[in-house]
Amino acid sequence: MAQKFAYYPGCVAEFSSKELNATTKALAPMLDIELLPMPAATCCGAGDIAEAKPNLYLTLNVRILSQAEEMGADVMTICNVCTLNLRRANKIVKDDPRILEAVNEELIKAGARPYEGTREVTHLLWFLATEEGLSLLEKQGPKGLNGLRVAPYYGCQLLRPSSVMGFEDPDRPQSLERLIRALGGEVADYEAKSRCCGFPIILAREAVALKESHVALSQARDAGADCMVTPCPLCHLAMDAYQSKAEAANDAEYNMPVLHLPQLIGMALGMDQSILQFKRHMVSMDNVVEIVGA
Amino acid sequence: MPQTTFDIFRYQPDFADESYRQSYALDHEPELTILDAVLRLQNEQDGTLAVRYSCRSAICGSCACRVNGKTVLACMTQVEDVKKEFGSDTVQVDPIGNFAPIKDLVVDMDPFWEKFKSVKPFLVPDGPAPEKERIVSKEAMQKIYNESKCILCAACYSECNSFAADEEFVGPAAFVWGYRFAGDERDGQRKARAKLYSGQHGVWDCTRCMYCNERCPKGVDPRDAIEKLGGIAFNEGISWADSGARHAKAFLISVRTGGKLNETLLVPFTAPIQSQMDMPFALRMLRKGKAPSPIPHRVKKRSEVNKLMKNVKETI
Repeated sequence: MAQKFAYYPGCVAEFSSKELNATTKALAPMLDIELLPMPAATCCGAGDIAEAKPNLYLTLNVRILSQAEEMGADVMTICNVCTLNLRRANKIVKDDPRILEAVNEELIKAGARPYEGTREVTHLLWFLATEEGLSLLEKQGPKGLNGLRVAPYYGCQLLRPSSVMGFEDPDRPQSLERLIRALGGEVADYEAKSRCCGFPIILAREAVALKESHVALSQARDAGADCMVTPCPLCHLAMDAYQSKAEAANDAEYNMPVLHLPQLIGMALGMDQSILQFKRHMVSMDNVVEIVGA
Repeated sequence: MPQTTFDIFRYQPDFADESYRQSYALDHEPELTILDAVLRLQNEQDGTLAVRYSCRSAICGSCACRVNGKTVLACMTQVEDVKKEFGSDTVQVDPIGNFAPIKDLVVDMDPFWEKFKSVKPFLVPDGPAPEKERIVSKEAMQKIYNESKCILCAACYSECNSFAADEEFVGPAAFVWGYRFAGDERDGQRKARAKLYSGQHGVWDCTRCMYCNERCPKGVDPRDAIEKLGGIAFNEGISWADSGARHAKAFLISVRTGGKLNETLLVPFTAPIQSQMDMPFALRMLRKGKAPSPIPHRVKKRSEVNKLMKNVKETI
């Protein structure tokens, strides 16, 4: 029987990065997981609402967790930032029953369901990078990545703070590497794979953000990567959509195609281009498609 | 008796322009901190090896350094724990990142102290001094308890990604002390502080890489202090002045009007002038379908959301 998750794709995957949502949804049945929609879930606030109205951030996120609880499923995300915000709220109320009680009072007053504190929040990467996940992939008999050299790019908020995230060592993560190898790709290793992409401040402080993304993009290029893969749509926007701006700002050239994690898996499983939607990327994916023979 | 090889960053500007690495072998008791190991090497093998330290008890904050790439206090890190964690008998020791080395493991801390001073890290009460001491409730002190644990070791700057990209960024520890006083009920400068900490290189420049929370050896969580300063700026009504604050405001408007983020509102709202100058870029995004409809994205049960937005009070 398919394992069920309350599916929280996050706002960016639903709108500007639709290719991520579409690919994830197409991938789910292949991995024997069912993604249940959460039609009443709001934005997690992306750290911005927490920075403006911390109590409101907490209440909105606990409301989302309560919806998952009502559905009887744990939450699955496909975004680093959503994962951190939901997990952080979950930890705050699970650690302190007085805070949970205060939040529940607000939820009840607003006509929303209170939260009992029984749910977990996971990311698709964490589900797949376990023995169970890898064996599900293997069962699909992946046609593979044909030796594609892939630079794993984690970004920040799926790793740190480890007291909230805790899936793997934030200084020596290996989950993406395990997946790349399992799918028949080669790992292009580089130091900056868990540095910041700059996206949280890319609109407010563009010059600073573009210096940040330059570090990872230039190192991945120097490591001989054919492409980068990321588990976060915000990292994807910073690395793909803003790549030409980073090139101009840093007087550099990267020519670095950037894949969403489910796209890399989908490509290895032979998923159709109409689902992968590489046309929606700013940096051409032609070279990657040619190497993989997708 | 364990034997460890220490691979240490050396920089001796009186003798060589370039830094280099030097290896030292040491037989030692199983219980030995990185600091004690470096001091033994200094005493027994190489008197030129420079390290900054004082209390040896994780209080003075002098001996932060990188051990196998990770910033720690040398005095509270056991050699054998590091060897076990990394599965190697060789331990690398480097100065903290983002500051210029002066000699070996000693870095120039002047920029750090300048940042610290810039946040006015002292209490500025309103009005004349009272006759008796000001009594503060336990609850009120609890709000700033975490920040009061900071020992100014600068471990939080060592891997700060915003500081690496912008040397003028005020940065984590300084803002910890900013909140330590902005959040103190005896302080009379809350609004002035909120203004001082906003603007270029201020709280809205934090890229939320979370390295500071990860590295702080005292569990201070500097990023959380920066977040709280953002909240104070909002509560003090200066949220329109800075593009970083407007970015946060756009999220609140999105949730109020629909529930989900309205990305197409976010860009011109945050950076109205810059986004007009960037029309070619915006058009490229549009062609790739990366500029979704500006109509609010409505979730179900919005009345719950609206009530929460109206009812939930902030307690920063």
